[in-house]
Amino acid sequence: MTTELERRAAADASLSDEEFRVVVRDWIAGNYMLERNLRIRPPFAYAKPWYLKLSERGWLAPGWPVEHGGLGLSIMKQVILVEEQERYGCCRLNEMGVVMVGPLLIRFGTDEQQKFFLPKILNGEIRWCQGYSEPGAGSDLASLRTEAVRDGDEWVVNGQKIWTTRANDADWIFALLRTDKSVAKHAGISMFLMPMTSPGISVKPIRDLNGGEELCQTFFENVRVPHANLVGELNKGWGVNSALLGLERIYVGLPKHSAHALARLHDLMTLTGAWEDAAAVDRFTQFQFDLEDHIALYEAALEQVSRTGQFPADISLLKLSQTELCSRITEAMMDMGGEIAGLFDPLVEHDNLFLANQFLLARPTTIYGGTSEIQRNILATRVIGLPKQ
Amino acid sequence: MNDQVSGISLEAQEENVRMIRESAGFLRAPDRMAAVRAARHIMPGITPADRDAVVSMGWLGMRLPEERGGVGFGLAEFCALSEELGRGLLPEFVVQAMAIAPLLPDAVLEQALSGERIVIPAWNEKLGDPDHVEAALTGGAITGTKRFVLTAAAADSFLVTTAGGAALVDAGASGLSLSTLALQDGGHFGELALENAAATPVEGDVARTREEAMLGMSAYLLGMAERTFEITKEYLAVREQFNRPIGSFQALQHRMVDMYLQIELTRAAIGKTARLLDDAEADREECLRAVSRTKARASDMVLLVTREGVQMHGGMGYTDDCDVGLFLRKAMIVATGHGSAGWHRRRYARLADLANNRLAA
Repeated sequence: MTTELERRAAADASLSDEEFRVVVRDWIAGNYMLERNLRIRPPFAYAKPWYLKLSERGWLAPGWPVEHGGLGLSIMKQVILVEEQERYGCCRLNEMGVVMVGPLLIRFGTDEQQKFFLPKILNGEIRWCQGYSEPGAGSDLASLRTEAVRDGDEWVVNGQKIWTTRANDADWIFALLRTDKSVAKHAGISMFLMPMTSPGISVKPIRDLNGGEELCQTFFENVRVPHANLVGELNKGWGVNSALLGLERIYVGLPKHSAHALARLHDLMTLTGAWEDAAAVDRFTQFQFDLEDHIALYEAALEQVSRTGQFPADISLLKLSQTELCSRITEAMMDMGGEIAGLFDPLVEHDNLFLANQFLLARPTTIYGGTSEIQRNILATRVIGLPKQ
Repeated sequence: MNDQVSGISLEAQEENVRMIRESAGFLRAPDRMAAVRAARHIMPGITPADRDAVVSMGWLGMRLPEERGGVGFGLAEFCALSEELGRGLLPEFVVQAMAIAPLLPDAVLEQALSGERIVIPAWNEKLGDPDHVEAALTGGAITGTKRFVLTAAAADSFLVTTAGGAALVDAGASGLSLSTLALQDGGHFGELALENAAATPVEGDVARTREEAMLGMSAYLLGMAERTFEITKEYLAVREQFNRPIGSFQALQHRMVDMYLQIELTRAAIGKTARLLDDAEADREECLRAVSRTKARASDMVLLVTREGVQMHGGMGYTDDCDVGLFLRKAMIVATGHGSAGWHRRRYARLADLANNRLAA
């Protein structure tokens, strides 16, 4: 008997990428029910109707296999879904469960873990946060020290995680923990799942430079975790993590962020009369070229994805290119904005032009998900093939 | 030449600068940035403690001759103090208040020096163009709109520039209404709507005073950058990843050196411009060009140093608890105001008539 999910999976798979894009575009226009073009990721309570709508259609986790509630669509079709949501201005969802935890459990989880967690991700019952970085382990993640010590059928966790984004709006955390201190640093790490309500877990929001409180610190004090919550093999957590070359790579490379910033720079130049200034026009034109060429680079990467079904090795170039272009455009806003560059609120009378917000929001994009410096190290050694330091 | 102009020897000037920096020592205290952080978004934009310090140190009188109750310091001393204020993020309108003090008539000056009356200049009217002045002074009253007035809520009087000269307007004058715009550093701009507001014209070279204030702001930016650089340097030395201090990585070292170069170029430009402006015989246009060159450099430099400071702190740099963020958000106001780098470059090119004046090779 063919299930509804199988029927949809087959229907979506039968479409060409171009046809699929049109179907997705029409469907989003007809079904998206929340405010468009929010500049921040809203709390889950707000985003939930859209989350469930996508889930119901099968497009929340389109890459998961059908037997786990997905549609098993190609990477290219997954990218199209991301692009079309961005294009329409749909709100960003807490995608940790769908993008990270789901694929993790599908590949490494036990039957029990899959049966328990995957449906609860799809119905929005469990929202996730990521426990990777620590105060002493950022770029050098493998030096992490939050420790799990075995005690019978349980593990006892002590330590501290940082940048656990949305830990204050999450039900569970997936975390890399030190389970063997006697071996090389990469070899003694394991992946565990823990409910945020576990006794001994506490969360402290961190106020960021732009006034947001999405970032959090998460503390573990004698937190007891059943052995059944281990994902993959003991002490193989580093490999489990590295195996996930997730769709999140595509988010940071999306040209839309830079395109939006450039459009606002255009507005600013119109407001200040800078189109009369040859130097400003030259600078703008250079940004426009950078954007057009980034789009070309992005499309070339996607073409490779559609041909090979995999991300190319130098996918990190997209992050560097996009985040640094966006940063430069917002720096020009500071240079050209004059006295309005440092305002604390948007300019309501100028279509909410908000230079400071654009500039500040661009700052962490060259830091999180691997700093620009780390991306360059990776590209230098693994892609270009230069000797390691 | 210099010692003739300011009437003192270089040694005496150096001693003055040393004393002035010492008087601002509290701005280097370990808990200074916690106090700055806590004071954000609280009206009128300066804490009672900072206000008391400014008054008790006699800073507002630093540019006044002794016969008017001041110490008659030159611009080298003024810039040294402005730099210290920038290091400690003391609200930067104080730099302007020091610059304009010599313009105040005796009665107002006395109140300013005793701390009874804060006088703040209202120069600007048009976004991005500090030279644009339309406000009119007729029959002892001003009509017009002044914008981007720094820390306006703290003012008891405004020094308002008009097409017909500058004049003092009482903050409570009828016909004056004030609205405010919040800023990223926790301060604010005021917008003054003046409708036939009673005004007392002031004597003196207001245009030159504004140049001195712009130079002072450049020094303020230098102080901000120095402190940001130090904080970042300390972090690079203690933050370890991959079993070594991250400051040992060449990729970061080279960028630190690039910043260091920009800081030293700015310091040199400020020193030379201060000497030029202290020379009463100096060509006026040459002074404007030197101020523009200096403020443009300082503005670009501070944005570079504060941006890089955030980036080099990694995730910590993006938290509100990290001091470099305080400097970045201050730079977003001081670098972009008082003539942005672009405005100053345009002014320089116009004054120097660059197209027709080739550098002697």
